[in-house]
Amino acid sequence: MEASCGKEPVLIVDDEKNIRLTLTQALEAMELDTDTAVNGEEALAKLADKPFGLILLDLRMPGMDGMEVLRRVRQTRPDIKVIIITAYGSIESAVEAMKLGAVDFIQKPFAPKEIRGLVTKVLNRDTLQAAKAKGYGTHIELAKKCIQQQQFEAAQEHTRQAIAADATRPEAFNLLGVLLEMSGNKLEAQKNYRAALALDPTYKPADENLSRTTGLTAGGGISLGR
Amino acid sequence: MKVLIVGGGKPVYFLCRTFLAKGHEVTVINRDQQECVQMARRLKVTVVHGDGSDQRILEEAGAHGADAVLAITPNDQDNLAICQLASLQFQVPRAVALVNDPDNEAVFQKLGVAAFSTTRTIASLIEQRTALDEITNLIPAAEGKVNITEVRLPADSPVAGKSLRDLALPAHSLIAVILRNGQALVPRGDTQLQVGDRIVLITLPVNHGQALKAITGEES
Amino acid sequence: MASNLFIVVVGCGRLGSHLANRLSRAGHGVVVIDRDEQAFRNLSAEYSGFRVEGDATELAVLKQAKVDQADLVIATTRDDNVNLMVTQVARAAFSVSRVLARVFEPTRKPIYRRLGIESICPTSVAAELFLESMAATRSLEDSA
Repeated sequence: MEASCGKEPVLIVDDEKNIRLTLTQALEAMELDTDTAVNGEEALAKLADKPFGLILLDLRMPGMDGMEVLRRVRQTRPDIKVIIITAYGSIESAVEAMKLGAVDFIQKPFAPKEIRGLVTKVLNRDTLQAAKAKGYGTHIELAKKCIQQQQFEAAQEHTRQAIAADATRPEAFNLLGVLLEMSGNKLEAQKNYRAALALDPTYKPADENLSRTTGLTAGGGISLGR
Repeated sequence: MKVLIVGGGKPVYFLCRTFLAKGHEVTVINRDQQECVQMARRLKVTVVHGDGSDQRILEEAGAHGADAVLAITPNDQDNLAICQLASLQFQVPRAVALVNDPDNEAVFQKLGVAAFSTTRTIASLIEQRTALDEITNLIPAAEGKVNITEVRLPADSPVAGKSLRDLALPAHSLIAVILRNGQALVPRGDTQLQVGDRIVLITLPVNHGQALKAITGEES
Repeated sequence: MASNLFIVVVGCGRLGSHLANRLSRAGHGVVVIDRDEQAFRNLSAEYSGFRVEGDATELAVLKQAKVDQADLVIATTRDDNVNLMVTQVARAAFSVSRVLARVFEPTRKPIYRRLGIESICPTSVAAELFLESMAATRSLEDSA
């Protein structure tokens, strides 16, 4: 389990050349095996050929858009890890992406350091499954992992366990809010975002989620927090 | 006081009028020729036509002897430059900039320039986040460091009938005044809160939600 | 210059786009900010960096461009005041370690120095080069 983590081949799917280039360059430094695809069709073809462990996927592409790619990928490779690349202020579709198991988003533009950090974190996430589930931080990570694998019931369970472990921190409430929002319960979701903020008025992800759902800000994504 | 204002439009016109009425001496710097002529005609102010962020124009407008400089142009970058020049080059004791982008207020302060944002003031008057009818007049004061709120005590409030000393108000919040039956009470520890009281609450933004919750019992 | 820096260039005019192209070709991560979408046409086809359309005097735009991650911010707009503000904000609000501003008006240089902002004045630079060139020609003539 440990050995396979961090070195799985990565597929970069984006219609823009500069993004493909930037990402390839950034990940090169990590000694990862990377490949690129310019559109959905090419991505699916390459996925059938090689056991990629992670896709970096742009949602907005001409032709088959990123959401459709994600849907099809989930059918054949439910286990594959996904990082969604988004443009600024574009993310009402984030909810839909999350329903397909994508929990990690990176917004353009991003620094090489940023994408490297996120890829490392996502590729290493599997090791948590081996670890015993205890402690607030672990439950939070497991919750995110369950969301990734579309096990929403389990995700809620982990969020609740996190709250049981430490009810004074905002992250779990924010995640719970997100899960509720995804199940269509906006009002309950907002209560949880407010709860997160009551615990820590400076916790930005909850603030962003609340502003987004109360319609005060245009655009902005679902904030899961780090 | 000798006040130098950089900017134009109705806000500047009425500001000039206000300052003049208070007996201050006013000079206006404005980039628009027409507006300069009009202002000179209508008000007893000295008008200088030019770019207020240009040292030479500030000099011409008497920045050396000014007690205050107000930069009220539509461009935050010009307001910043004007105030920094005024303080650093002309040693004007008080230089204040309007920030159009409310996010810039904090940065300007960091750069040593006093700044105010009308956007934030107006937005907070129609603040939606609290969603409670009893809460009105949210006025940020002291450069945004303090909130002054008036809260009407609702019938289902958890603190109706309680005395002030029994309230669990968070740190950095204070009930300054209670307006009851047309009278203003300065409350003490044994003052009891009644339904219908209009409570003037002073808080720091960070504790604002909690303080409101303590009084009204609502999630905010 | 170190390799693979993350650089934000403000203003995509002739100078800004030229710098962006060169820096991107040298392998650095580059983000260009400009208010006018048309300005991005100045970028070459090989430009592999990002573009952000917006006014750099808005904090939100700087955040969008990830200035908080930048190793270097270069302000190349035609407005000296914008360049002065952007570089100051980058330093004060985003703790960027190195900032550079273009300033057109030579009489503004003292205030930039006062505020600790490194600046390059094309007017002064050109003047120096012209004078040097004249001096060189004259000495050639003298010795002829």
